[in-house]
Amino acid sequence: MNESLGHIFVDAFLINNFVLCVFLGMCSFLGLSSKVSTAWRMGVSVIFVITVSAILSYGTNLILVAFHAEYLRLITYIVIIAATVQLTEMFIKKKSPELFRELGIYLPLITTNCAVLAVPLFQTARGYNLLQSTVFALAASGGYCMAMVLLALVRERTELSDVPSLARGTALTLVLASILSMAFMGFAGMGGGG
Amino acid sequence: MTGTTTKSTQMIRFLGFVSLLCGVLIVGAHVASQSRIRVNQEEILRESLAQLLPGMTRQVIYIVTPTGELTPAASGESSDKRIFAGFDAGGKFLGVVLEASERGYADVISAMYAYSPASKTITGFSVLEMKETPGLGNKIGSDPEFLANFKALDTTHPVAAVKHGKKTNPWEIDAISGATISSRAVGRMLAASVQEMAPIIARHRDRIERGN
Amino acid sequence: MKETAPNPFINGLWRQNPTFVQILGMCPTLAITNSVQNAIAMGLATAFVLICSNGLIAAIRKHVPKQVRIATYIAIIATAVTVTDYLVKAISISVYKALGPFIPLIVANCLVLERAEGFAAKKPVIPSMMDGAGMGLGFAFGLTCLGTVREVLGAGTFLGIHLFGPNFEPWVLFLLPPGGFISLAIWLLIFASYRERKDRRERARAALLTVQPAEAQS
Repeated sequence: MNESLGHIFVDAFLINNFVLCVFLGMCSFLGLSSKVSTAWRMGVSVIFVITVSAILSYGTNLILVAFHAEYLRLITYIVIIAATVQLTEMFIKKKSPELFRELGIYLPLITTNCAVLAVPLFQTARGYNLLQSTVFALAASGGYCMAMVLLALVRERTELSDVPSLARGTALTLVLASILSMAFMGFAGMGGGG
Repeated sequence: MTGTTTKSTQMIRFLGFVSLLCGVLIVGAHVASQSRIRVNQEEILRESLAQLLPGMTRQVIYIVTPTGELTPAASGESSDKRIFAGFDAGGKFLGVVLEASERGYADVISAMYAYSPASKTITGFSVLEMKETPGLGNKIGSDPEFLANFKALDTTHPVAAVKHGKKTNPWEIDAISGATISSRAVGRMLAASVQEMAPIIARHRDRIERGN
Repeated sequence: MKETAPNPFINGLWRQNPTFVQILGMCPTLAITNSVQNAIAMGLATAFVLICSNGLIAAIRKHVPKQVRIATYIAIIATAVTVTDYLVKAISISVYKALGPFIPLIVANCLVLERAEGFAAKKPVIPSMMDGAGMGLGFAFGLTCLGTVREVLGAGTFLGIHLFGPNFEPWVLFLLPPGGFISLAIWLLIFASYRERKDRRERARAALLTVQPAEAQS
């Protein structure tokens, strides 16, 4: 199916938001969203890694299809992601040691973030071309970043409120995420339905 | 110096060994499961076709080329435009089944429908995949009243969904109340697909009905 | 008791349960627990991957150079997942379609990598496979718990069997994404309160024994 770029963007950014509607990248979403600053940095690094690895995977998939070796797809994609993360790490380390110090511990975690692996898998399954893949990757990772920051904003607020000791931590975060997710359900009709 | 080189050659040798092992395992699994997967896919396809064309026992699959010609194809997953011609045990032509998809309320709805080239009507409809709201939009796949629309839906006039209870013409689809957007998506999906495929089917009708 | 060397199988199933205690592998936990059947299938697929990858990694653990160990683990996990992918497809296409992209995404499940690094890299093959089985089944148990709540409340069925009369109006929210978050929060609260009550009881018993040993014994 030939979807327009605008559709792809709105769809991946809002309607099927990777975090709140498709449940991808949950570990970092629940684990790294206690402060807005960390959430924002993690979000930006994920945008970078997803976009680069999506473009690389697109090229690699063409090679795999040409050699009829589709069964190696998954292992290739994960290697590409691991390599992209490693290269990003080296690049940031060289260009901006300060940023590296701030991001350092989060970068390796991106390898096991399923949102990163999902983008190349989805774009292959939907048969996007290079431009569509790039827009899809940007929208999906942008949506991830937005959800992270939104949740972190709310969590910073609840820091000071009186929460029963039982519910502190993950349980409260999940309830907040649930409310955010309900809000995002409202975007469902935007896909150009009626 | 020699220490580091042996170390890195060792590392490379080890990684080479690991990738060889992984490669052998993956290819082994691929080869071993291939035939079973194909059987499963064919079974699923036959089941979904038989649901739309009751009494069907044999199907012939055509791929529509970009120029509007037909080439016979094997079953299995495919992104090509396909026409499935169904025949009963006596070899009688029952109708064709086509695939269609359209953006619904939550995500893309993909479906199959049966089309009769003789009467130019849609005679059956079933949803393959959707993420419509459970309890509302997802009724397009199960609501008997809604599916009754597709017993003989006229396609000589462009198909369209109308609000629940407002159906007056044979080419209109009576929408599910509370799921108008999903119902309209079904209408648009069928209208677009019929408009594209009906002329091709009409042109090749003899061949499709003979099944070669 | 077995404090020093807990049985790896029981450890994963209950004491270090991946879902409720370690809170690992949240993506599939939330995404495909909208029916019990999917939850069980996903849990078993993950358990299979864990057993294979833990076993393989434990077998080669002595030869893995330290610098490339993560790359090695990921390659082996990706292999195990690809094999599982074909296996599920060969068993049933409809299950495969229901689980959707979440089978390939087991690769990125932090639970699998965590067990490789934290257990299989240090222990022999058999205990590693036991650990994989325990963790995997513990994960399947967590998924099934969540799936039960969501399917019973959201659709009024259990494994597709209708539980309530025709007048039951399903609480659809539980099948939708927010319901996933909410039901996991409820389960975590239940487990937290259970653990807290157990802690309090044990503390009370310990206090009793130290303050009045004679009375407690008589």
